[in-house]
Amino acid sequence: MSDIFAFNGSSNAGWSQPKPILPISQIKETVPQSMLRSNPPAWPRASEPELVRHYTWLSRRNFGIDTGFYPLGSCTMKHNPRVNERIVNLPGIDRMHPLQPEHQIQGILSIFFEMQEMLAVCSGMDQVTLQPVAGAQGEFTAMRCIQEFHRERGEGHRNKVIVPDSAHGTNPASASMCGYEIIEIPSGKDGRIDLDALQSVVGDDTAAMMITNPSTLGVFEPEIAKASEIVHSAGGQMYYDGANFNAIIGKTDPGMMGFDAVHYNLHKTFSQPHGGGGPGSGPIGVKAHLAKYLPTPLASRRKLNDSDTQGVGDGFWYSWITPEKTIGKVQQWHGNAGAVVRCWAFYRRYGRELERMSEHAVLNANYLRYKIMNPDPEVASNIHAMPLDGAPTDFVMHEFTLSMIQLKDKVGITGKDIAKRLLDYGVMAPTLYFPMIVPECLMIEPTETESKEVLDQFAKDFLNILTEDPEIVTTAPHTTDVGRVDEVWAARNLILRHPGNHTVQD
Amino acid sequence: MDQLPNLGREQEMLSIMGLKSIDELFSNIPDEVRRTEPLPLPPPQSEEEIWRDAQHLLGSNINLDSRPSFLSAGLSRNFVPTMVGMLATRGEFLTSYTPYQAEVSQGMLQAMWEFQTMISELVSLPISNVSMYDASTSAAEAITCAVRVHNKKATQKETIYISELVPPHRMSVIENYVQGAGINIQILKHDLNGHLDIDSASIANGSCAVYVEQPNSFGILDEGLLKLKELIGDNTALIVGVDAVSLGVVSPPGEWGADIVVGEGQPFGIGPTFGGPIYGIFACTEKYIRQMPGRIVGQTHDSNEKMAFTLTLSTREQHIRRHRATSNICSNETLIALMGAMHMSLLGPDGITVLSQRVAASTEVTKKALQSIKGVELVHPNSHNFRDFVIKLPGDSGEAVAFMDSKGVMAGLPLGQWWSEMSSCLLIGCDERTSESDILSLVSGIKEWIKEVKS
Repeated sequence: MSDIFAFNGSSNAGWSQPKPILPISQIKETVPQSMLRSNPPAWPRASEPELVRHYTWLSRRNFGIDTGFYPLGSCTMKHNPRVNERIVNLPGIDRMHPLQPEHQIQGILSIFFEMQEMLAVCSGMDQVTLQPVAGAQGEFTAMRCIQEFHRERGEGHRNKVIVPDSAHGTNPASASMCGYEIIEIPSGKDGRIDLDALQSVVGDDTAAMMITNPSTLGVFEPEIAKASEIVHSAGGQMYYDGANFNAIIGKTDPGMMGFDAVHYNLHKTFSQPHGGGGPGSGPIGVKAHLAKYLPTPLASRRKLNDSDTQGVGDGFWYSWITPEKTIGKVQQWHGNAGAVVRCWAFYRRYGRELERMSEHAVLNANYLRYKIMNPDPEVASNIHAMPLDGAPTDFVMHEFTLSMIQLKDKVGITGKDIAKRLLDYGVMAPTLYFPMIVPECLMIEPTETESKEVLDQFAKDFLNILTEDPEIVTTAPHTTDVGRVDEVWAARNLILRHPGNHTVQD
Repeated sequence: MDQLPNLGREQEMLSIMGLKSIDELFSNIPDEVRRTEPLPLPPPQSEEEIWRDAQHLLGSNINLDSRPSFLSAGLSRNFVPTMVGMLATRGEFLTSYTPYQAEVSQGMLQAMWEFQTMISELVSLPISNVSMYDASTSAAEAITCAVRVHNKKATQKETIYISELVPPHRMSVIENYVQGAGINIQILKHDLNGHLDIDSASIANGSCAVYVEQPNSFGILDEGLLKLKELIGDNTALIVGVDAVSLGVVSPPGEWGADIVVGEGQPFGIGPTFGGPIYGIFACTEKYIRQMPGRIVGQTHDSNEKMAFTLTLSTREQHIRRHRATSNICSNETLIALMGAMHMSLLGPDGITVLSQRVAASTEVTKKALQSIKGVELVHPNSHNFRDFVIKLPGDSGEAVAFMDSKGVMAGLPLGQWWSEMSSCLLIGCDERTSESDILSLVSGIKEWIKEVKS
């Protein structure tokens, strides 16, 4: 293995940089004597060639969309167009400071404005902020706005937020961070919302309901407008978790469904690369009655005056504005601007045809589900036990769930075993054991950027695993860089850093 | 619209499913919520057209590298080694998700474990997570974490103390994050030298946490903070926000009693990027490990006893613990932390020392140069500064900045933007790239403006 802390070259062999503009003796006087660091951090002492090889070696031990099919449900792992990466290297974004005066930032402000408008149009909302930097932070931001909305109306006593049991974990966690109590309601058998259960929990203490549609089972909730009505008539607000937005653009929107606030995962729907866990970007959109609480600042524009300089040439002057009753800041600057610019470039690729993107996401999901659930008779006869649909509906939206419970009962192969075995076939595993309401759940989201051939091959490999010797499957993976990893040992022993190279001295 | 491999093959796929049109797939959407009009957006563009528009729009911005700049205020106009961007954007890193499947994610897991180690070394605390969104959310979540750990024994329940010099945008993030837990924020005062009023700091004893910054938002290195832990006692967390680069020359807070260290990671790994994506550092002692936010990587082994890495302590997190999670954080800033790790490893122990010395040197030289201008006063003449310092001008600093802007110099942050009573003060930010000629431009700009004001 390549151990970065084993690199310990001589002190003048590493990366070079210009010298300080003062002699060292004078620099030491700029820090109080008692505060001078005695030993530098014991970081590796490595040269560029060694590090390039180290990180290249690490990258080859990592699986991305570029490596192969990544059907990770709920995460929308679509292709990341490369021009977007080229664009964010331009100095007009990379070398920009968030506190520069408006006349120096007209270009970036115009992109912010265009993105705010585009996201509002696609979601049926009135105003968008781009400040939240992750979906969870978007949820938190929207719940803070809703909280202030209730407080201003003298209804600060509304302290409960309703979430379905199939919701993403961030929903209850974000509401809870705002100080809300969580009421979890059970989903119906088909994964759909149970309107009676909802009716029985709403009341004078309801602050909001948080829900995603299509649901985490990949099923569109046809009674969503009724759910909105129930919550609204109790005085609560409706929050739309946009994790599954990739399924519906141009076909419907949260505004039509009766939602008051929504977050978008730009790193899902609009292809900001996931980068091993981030950065994300989680803008939120709200209806007019919540707009005055949004974080500050928002991008705005007006027609150019004679006194203005040229601007970007579209006849507008762009500026920052502060919403009247703003909750303040959730990220210290303007959010993940680099992600916003990438996603702007992505959206420009589709423009008014974004609807095609959702159509292909849904087409691919249904096609793959069909191929898995309808094996050739010869293959079918060799399968230990077929998966069950997580939701018994004719069509799914952008993703679907499978329950491997029959397989577990019959031959002892769990959903996790299937997931690990898939790694041997050179694909990423689906999302595992979520939503929790489906036993032995695998959640599969192919996205629109996979070809029919990739889907055919995945279905074939998946079905083939169902015919394999259980011993092979339950001990998988066999061909990966490491075998099945012992997570329990990690949690018991907590070795959270390299013992390090403590030979480094000043 | 060149991103759809199955474009034109829809019928082929539909017919396999026994369907005729894509519309059938959307039949679960009832008419009353079905959109009928096309989206009112412009037509699709090709890559070439998008690149053209991006160059035009972003090219119309004025970037920090195009002129002498003294605008810092929490971000660094750094130089990121070329290797960093090239390797971090390798598709295997760039296009991977959170490494839930450890067997095919050893690369990112090991890189993050190395990152944790480098942060731990930098601040001198044993534990680090793999990043928060930024310095402010890191500070905010350090506070809520400390309250969970210390509230039971605290004599000042749900109470924390924060330095009055924490900049307003960070204060606002903190307020949003702590209000849900019913946390009561008290303010710690500073003296005229910009130092914490250490005599009164013991009022924080018995509270859950104290949050201070070193250097503070005026760039002041405050020796008094070294005594702070002793004053507030064991059951009050000392949370210190740092300028990560300063730790090449300045003693790490872990060595003077800090329980949690937070800060902006941006100087290591990525340009200022209009404020994001950047990443927050979060490091702590063992006491906080089960209450801390964010992802953590641990060492383990595989089924063949081969060394391996995995995400660990997940039972703190939202996907397991739901509303009882220690934080709602899910997506974080891993890729930027990876860029940080690459940058830090290129610097090495010698490089960080030199980098830190360069910032310290340009701060000192700039300060001396401005001090000598007639009409300019150092607001804290007896302070030691790192990166930032404050000058007082004979007039509104916003007007001074606008004047110098017209002469092609970014002169710093008019502090009236942060604190209205400081409208004649200017926050000057230096960095390792501040050159003698930048300083000359700033000096002559300020002189010219003073002449203008006086005439």
